[in-house]
Amino acid sequence: MTARRFSGRPSWRPNVAGFVTVAICVLAWEMTIQVGIFDYQYLPAPSAIVRGAGELAASGELITATLHTLESVFLGWAVAVAAGISLGLLLGSSPLLRRYSLATIEVLRPMPAIAFVPVALLLFGFSIQTELMVIVLPSLWPVLINTMGGLMEVHARLEEVGRTFRLSRSAILYKVFLPAATPAIMVGVRISLTLAVVLAVLAEMVGNPEGLGYAVVSQQQALRPDLMFVYVVVIGLLGLALNALLVGFVSMSFPAASAEFKGPRS
Amino acid sequence: MKRGELDVFLRLVAAEIPPARGLVPLLVLLTAWQLLAPGPSAYFPAPFEWWSAAVLLWDSGQLLPAFAATVTTFVEGLALAIAIGVGLGIAIGTSRPVERALGPLLEFMRAIPPPVTVPIATLLLGYDVTMKLTVVALSAIWPILLNTSSAAARVEPLLYDIARTFHLSTADWIRKIVIPSIVPFVLLGIRVAIPLAIVVTLLVEMLTSLPGIGALMIQSQRNFQSAQVYALLVIVGLFGFAVNDLFAIIEAIVLQRWPPKAPLRPC
Amino acid sequence: MAGGETTGQQHRDFVFSCRSVSLKLPYQGGSRWILADISLDIRRGELFTIVGPSGTGKTTLIRVLGGLTPCTSGSVRINGQEIAGPPEGVVIVFQDYSHALLQWRTVYLNVALGIEGQVAASELRSRVVGVLRLVGLEKNADDYPWQLSGGMQQRVQIARALAVRPAVLLMDEPFAALDAMTKASLQDELLRVKQETGCSIVFITHDIEEAVYLGDRIAVISGTPGRIERTFDVPLPKPRDQIITRQSTEFLKFRYAVHQAIGGMTR
Repeated sequence: MTARRFSGRPSWRPNVAGFVTVAICVLAWEMTIQVGIFDYQYLPAPSAIVRGAGELAASGELITATLHTLESVFLGWAVAVAAGISLGLLLGSSPLLRRYSLATIEVLRPMPAIAFVPVALLLFGFSIQTELMVIVLPSLWPVLINTMGGLMEVHARLEEVGRTFRLSRSAILYKVFLPAATPAIMVGVRISLTLAVVLAVLAEMVGNPEGLGYAVVSQQQALRPDLMFVYVVVIGLLGLALNALLVGFVSMSFPAASAEFKGPRS
Repeated sequence: MKRGELDVFLRLVAAEIPPARGLVPLLVLLTAWQLLAPGPSAYFPAPFEWWSAAVLLWDSGQLLPAFAATVTTFVEGLALAIAIGVGLGIAIGTSRPVERALGPLLEFMRAIPPPVTVPIATLLLGYDVTMKLTVVALSAIWPILLNTSSAAARVEPLLYDIARTFHLSTADWIRKIVIPSIVPFVLLGIRVAIPLAIVVTLLVEMLTSLPGIGALMIQSQRNFQSAQVYALLVIVGLFGFAVNDLFAIIEAIVLQRWPPKAPLRPC
Repeated sequence: MAGGETTGQQHRDFVFSCRSVSLKLPYQGGSRWILADISLDIRRGELFTIVGPSGTGKTTLIRVLGGLTPCTSGSVRINGQEIAGPPEGVVIVFQDYSHALLQWRTVYLNVALGIEGQVAASELRSRVVGVLRLVGLEKNADDYPWQLSGGMQQRVQIARALAVRPAVLLMDEPFAALDAMTKASLQDELLRVKQETGCSIVFITHDIEEAVYLGDRIAVISGTPGRIERTFDVPLPKPRDQIITRQSTEFLKFRYAVHQAIGGMTR
């Protein structure tokens, strides 16, 4: 069975104006520093950043740091997604459980992730577990809430269809509710991934001294702004790349869900 | 506040609060922790110890100034972010060519996690309060700016025709149509910006040891004063919770006049 | 038709039977009667239309017949057995097809919903293909509902219901959301399908002409709470034709009578 492409989507027009703007900014930045108009000790020229990238790639530091951050992100995110979906399914299908847990979620959710860093350091010291403790809990919330919400918002008609065909309760949950809630769940999973990246970097900046976050801080303290910016750019690219991969993966597996998944910008 | 308004206000507040029995899991956890804790522990001090540590901090005069410093930075940074974010957002959003041109640039800036801006700002601006404020504002500005510009660019096209029919000036167009249309989205952007601002404020304090709760937390952790660490965690948590709830109430009050977003369930 | 004892003979002729069905639902703190004292008998193999203005509880009646909502008093029987929950051999076709179809499943899998896991694979395949052929959608088996037009989606829903070989098809204003031409073509298709499968149909509508065109018998429901005002036999000649039948004096006579029974209200 082949799925046809979702009809009615406009084709992507290359944003020439946009790229030109970026190109101009980069060029202007480079020029002003080369020519010497703007000689700020700690603002490196783009060319210096590129040279720095080469330096770090050659020495292998860039790869090591990136791999470490990726490891934390994936481990933490995987746990958050598994826990979030399980809890979300549980709460989404039981009004009783919801009544006895929503307030707790409301109280725990606004806890700033960074506040966990000192506690994590206390318990785990300098290790990847510190990062994981900081990543997992805040990343769990979007998945849980979207799963729960997705289930609760399944159209009443779908449940009635299940009942008019006399499907068993578990069949209705599995064949009707779960697929219907999948677009919402995927949105939560996507938000969670973006969050996990930010949290990993955060935990590495003030917690575990490894990975891209730590690299940024250490280069800042070593007064090497060119190298620092290399890591900044890599972090940005990492976030974009992971997001794009996830969107691509979901588009392929769930053609019907993907239109909603791509969603509005934050 | 008139009688009728008070009722509305209270009803809005009540609507934001989930049933109290939802706190059961939390209370069970804390109680179990308290009962099972084997005396003063380096890793898992009991909840009552957190309270003692908090009282100690208050009495020693450390807590209040730190809290004040954090709150001040947070509020000022957020206010700055709102002022600039909304202004710029409207300017960008109402001009199609500008929005398209700045699009990829803004997208890339957005991809940089806010925490990462802290070391950058530290290098460029040095270790002082101005830097702290700038960094918080710079991080909090993105959700506000992006939501505002995106909403301003997506004002109902029909309203544009209506403005032309009534010969509205650009100033009127922005004041009477664009701004009211984007209010729900601006509020959404602020709602996202708030936790961001809190995190960055604490982050700066932790990284630079500028005065604030964050600095206090790191200091306690380095001195292995675990009960103090947990106590400060609770304080930060309560602060975050209070701010978010307060904003939810403000949002509910402001949005009374706007149509509800969720479609009504068919009966 | 109204009241009286049902003899054994009538039991065999009537597939569906309600006696004094009344229903009240919770409403603004108290409750409200939606249906009052509904008694109907549906004969085997007939197309029974129920027509009435909005708000008379027609949809609620279908839900009671379909076992989705229990009645407050009275009884509903299928083949003499009182129902408790959705009865076997009865399927509801809903008005909002886009919400009633599983948008993430292909047409083929949607139609299979009622019988998968209950019949052998070969039987399932032949039934699904057979019923798709019946509604003229055999070429669309691998499409997704959201790729099809409204009329086609509604045909998928009908096919899905027919796949389980129901004794009674309950249809809740199935063509109300479609444009006039699609509606007319689906009306004829329904008549043809009923001819080929021989199932009984209870068809709810607010469109008087549709009710007269399709029905073997019509029940007029009106008032709040809804009551059956009158029941008519509609012995118009078959096969019915959109142009010829609708112009005939008989048709106009029935249309007038139904209109009067509703109380002269248009829709």
